[in-house]
Amino acid sequence: MLVIDCPYCGPRDQSEFSNGGEAHVKRPDGSAEIGDREWGEYVFIRANPKGIFYERWVHSHGCRKWFNCVRDTSTDEILKIYKIDEERPKLDSFKNNVKTPSGEPNLGSGNFTVKK
Amino acid sequence: MSELNLTDNKFIQFHQKIGFKFDGVKYYGYKGDTIASALLRNNVKLIGRSFKYHRPRGFYTCGIEEPNALVQIISEYSEPNTRATIKKIYEGMEIESQNRWPSLKTDIGSINNIFSPVFPAGFYYKTFMGPHKNFWKKIYEPIIRKAAGLGKPPKEFKAVSTHLYHNVDITIVGGGLNGLIAAKSLIDTNFSVLLIDFDDQLGGILNNSNKVQSVNNQTPMDWISETVNEIENSKNIKILKNTLVTNYNYINHLIAVEDKFVGSRPLKDKVNSTLHKIRTDQVILSNGHIERFLSFQNNDLPGIMLCSSFEKYMCRYGVMPSKETVIFSNNSNSESLVFSLIKKGFKPKAYIDSRSGENIEPGLFDLIRKNDIPLYTNSQIKGAFGSKKLQKILVEDSSGGVNEIKTDFLCLSGGINPDVHLFTQSKGLLDWDEKDLTYKPAQAFQPTITLGSASGQFDFNSITKEINEKLDIFGIKPLQINLKLNTSHKFKIEKLWEVLPQKQTIWSKSFIDLQNDVTTKDIRQAISEGFDRIEHLKRYTTNSMGTDQGKISSINALGIVSDLLDKKVNEVGTTIYRPPYAPLSFAAIAGRNSYEYYDPERKTPIHNWHVSNGAVFEDVGQWKRPWYFPINKDETMNDAVQRESKNVRENAGVLDGSTLGKIEIKGKDALAFLNLIYTNSFSKMKPGSSRYALMLGEDGMVKDDGIICKISDEHFIATTTTGGAATVLGCMEEYAQTEWPNLNVYMNSITEQYATFNISGPKTRNIIEKVFPEVDFSNEAFPFMTFQFHEYEDTPIRILRASFTGEMGYEIYVPSNQALKIWEKIINFGKEFGLMPYGTETMHLLRAEKGYIIVGQDTDGSITPLDLGLDWMIGKSKKDFLGKRSLIRSDTVRKDRKQLVGIIPTNKNDKLEEGQHIILDKEIKTPMPMLGHITSCYQSPTLGHNFALAVIKNGQSLIGTKAFASTPELKTIEVEIVEPIFYDKENTKLAS
Ligand SMILES: [Zn+2]
Repeated sequence: MLVIDCPYCGPRDQSEFSNGGEAHVKRPDGSAEIGDREWGEYVFIRANPKGIFYERWVHSHGCRKWFNCVRDTSTDEILKIYKIDEERPKLDSFKNNVKTPSGEPNLGSGNFTVKK
Repeated sequence: MSELNLTDNKFIQFHQKIGFKFDGVKYYGYKGDTIASALLRNNVKLIGRSFKYHRPRGFYTCGIEEPNALVQIISEYSEPNTRATIKKIYEGMEIESQNRWPSLKTDIGSINNIFSPVFPAGFYYKTFMGPHKNFWKKIYEPIIRKAAGLGKPPKEFKAVSTHLYHNVDITIVGGGLNGLIAAKSLIDTNFSVLLIDFDDQLGGILNNSNKVQSVNNQTPMDWISETVNEIENSKNIKILKNTLVTNYNYINHLIAVEDKFVGSRPLKDKVNSTLHKIRTDQVILSNGHIERFLSFQNNDLPGIMLCSSFEKYMCRYGVMPSKETVIFSNNSNSESLVFSLIKKGFKPKAYIDSRSGENIEPGLFDLIRKNDIPLYTNSQIKGAFGSKKLQKILVEDSSGGVNEIKTDFLCLSGGINPDVHLFTQSKGLLDWDEKDLTYKPAQAFQPTITLGSASGQFDFNSITKEINEKLDIFGIKPLQINLKLNTSHKFKIEKLWEVLPQKQTIWSKSFIDLQNDVTTKDIRQAISEGFDRIEHLKRYTTNSMGTDQGKISSINALGIVSDLLDKKVNEVGTTIYRPPYAPLSFAAIAGRNSYEYYDPERKTPIHNWHVSNGAVFEDVGQWKRPWYFPINKDETMNDAVQRESKNVRENAGVLDGSTLGKIEIKGKDALAFLNLIYTNSFSKMKPGSSRYALMLGEDGMVKDDGIICKISDEHFIATTTTGGAATVLGCMEEYAQTEWPNLNVYMNSITEQYATFNISGPKTRNIIEKVFPEVDFSNEAFPFMTFQFHEYEDTPIRILRASFTGEMGYEIYVPSNQALKIWEKIINFGKEFGLMPYGTETMHLLRAEKGYIIVGQDTDGSITPLDLGLDWMIGKSKKDFLGKRSLIRSDTVRKDRKQLVGIIPTNKNDKLEEGQHIILDKEIKTPMPMLGHITSCYQSPTLGHNFALAVIKNGQSLIGTKAFASTPELKTIEVEIVEPIFYDKENTKLAS
């Protein structure tokens, strides 16, 4: 179980939080000019990378605040937590030398799909 | 019995005799005994039958690694699969052996052993596959179930357990020699430390063997008691005894279970076990090593035991499992046993070592020579033989000659393994040590330190150096510990995994996994069938898949496989040890979250009134809601619902609707926000009016519905479905914070602040006018879908004119602490007008007659508002709202979508059921195209017949046509598809 450092409350057990999936997914407005494909991607398509992942969490059994988090999905290491209105940290700002449990590289493997 | 006792033992209280029963026979042991040590005192060596072949088995070890000695504790809810080697006895304990019938001595199932070709490697997989699909279900399964297996599940089980949380700096797992030194060096530092040991005596190897002669010139016992005393008196270290760490999770999170009733009968009203959940900055694993066995013919016979286990029985439990034993080893671990045996005057009958004379430890060699013990070097045991117990062994000596030795006991040592189970659970990586022939921790994945034999450091002379080096990160003072040994300080081993048999017989087997009855032959067969990857091989043969996870044998299997494949062991790899380290009871995991505390129960403010008025309750999420109110005990649910619903239509009824979700929304941008959240437009609504509203997901599907009351453009109150309250609030919060943070809006749940009472029926106005005489309830003053605030005897209340039944109705919102007063007023004033309380079932019937949907019953997450015919609820002029764009997706505008319709059986008394499929043909054939299914159905006293709601393909265009409802008996019921509204289509009642 993870320990998540809520930017408003401090470190708490994962059981107090809910995961909100990929972060920085921009919601198009509901107007008809948006094509089926673009809207469909917003509604249904999310990245699921092995490696560094930008995701959202909500402190649902705490302050109820949403925030963003950068986590290495291959090691479960949380690299950064930042408030919803803070800028998205750049991918190359994360130096990560932790070996994955399976021994594969945590960056640059075939299923690394996070948008740069 | 007394001749096997070593009464100078300090751990066993020989003055305290304890009586217990094993398979109905009464035996005596002493305070401090495990079931195993007590039975060995009584010369009982046969303890159970094996899993598959029902072979007789004895005690193989003296600890948690035990594969064989699993017993059922009858006196503790019949707790099965208890390790006899660790469970302590108490007065009146009742124990039964497992997996035998009719008795342990004569067991019919042992015939499986003779028919063992029936149970080859991959048996279960092969059986599942053929020869015919019914073979498994009808023939194999019933037979195998009876023959194979472990204990029986417990009966009337209600153990009590609790959870305890720890946040500490350092956790030391294992209070043996290394753990105690590590803890000693942390005494009175600023670190908070937990020291955990599974035993009730700290000291580990110092208690279990005679390897160490003195520590800092003190006897081991004196050093332990002094050290433990210092630790106990320190301000920063807490010791948990009788506690087993079973899980090592991510971010140094440990799970440990503490047995609160070691050596006494668990009390029913006291906590039996505590589950410790430990979060720690640093873990120190000093949990030692496990000795492994060797494979040869019939290496499973009762009377065969590991060397260190035999010595532990002597040193820790003061019992001699046998007075005459033969020893067989390939490594230095047997030296200490020889020393202990000679010290106690029971010299071994023979010593057999696969190593040559010059490779045997000099001290051991001298000891054997001096005491005239028959020595076989460069020798191996070819097989063990006997009926239900060991009687003789065959030894192949260095010249190739085979010698027969008569003996009833044999001690084995095949080497030692660091207990890496927890280390690998923590995702640490292992590396094969070619010299010590075992996997050792190589790279930690978390902040983990391994010490002593747990780290693969087998040299006693390096203990303090290792501890001081590895604990240097804490900035503490190094310690100097001087050890004097009775045996050599280093570990040496020569490779030996398996001795091939002289000649094969059907009965003779060479086991590689004792608990799962896997033989070395199974391993060979699996490899020849192509299962040469270690993870495949494990599952195909079930090797090391027992509850012991092959603690004494899994490394042997890797060795054998590496030889067979001619690969290095590191290339073969190791299977993953999975949590828990040892079986963990569900009772411990459940803790207090069981039975009535499993899930919180939510009760409305007038719950007690419902109870005293005979309500039958229904669970709706966590809520207890009155389902119906039978007038006497003979009234059935169906009768009650017919009566209640008829009464609402003819007179009036009142429902406790307090469970409805209520959310208050405030802020400058509250109006703009709600316009984005719900499909409806609230812009033109006047303050004091309300509106039925729909909430969609971004996929366009209906997620929730409710009534929105507008107090002003900056203040709204929304209701939600009972089950959807938390989700709707969560969704609003999410969008307010993440999508539209520029909007000034706040929301809060007020569900439990207010009770809600729904009065409806033609006589509603007569009643409510009496309850609130100062309020004008005329149509002009209080029209449909408006609400008003009033004071009633200093109680602020809100009255909303709305209806979920189709009748004229009002909803009254009352602060919870005043709820009962108002409810009783309504009931009392209503009596003369025939008012009755009604429950959720009647509510469901009434709303269905009116064609009102219930989100989650008539919708399932794949239904749009258009599918429900609710186009009028969509604010088409709005630029955006949740799911708006999805309403014109190619999928949502499809013509053949499932749509809500009504269903009436042609024969009006035919009973329909929820979930029945609607089809177009009278005859059911395969494949049968299905149009959709019934979502709600009821028997209506008002309509005088049965009816249903259904979602069916292209439903709106099928209205007026005939169709059929299917039944599981493959009969069909003729029905007519109709508009989904059965009562007051013109809505005259609502506004009456
Ligand atoms: Zn928080």
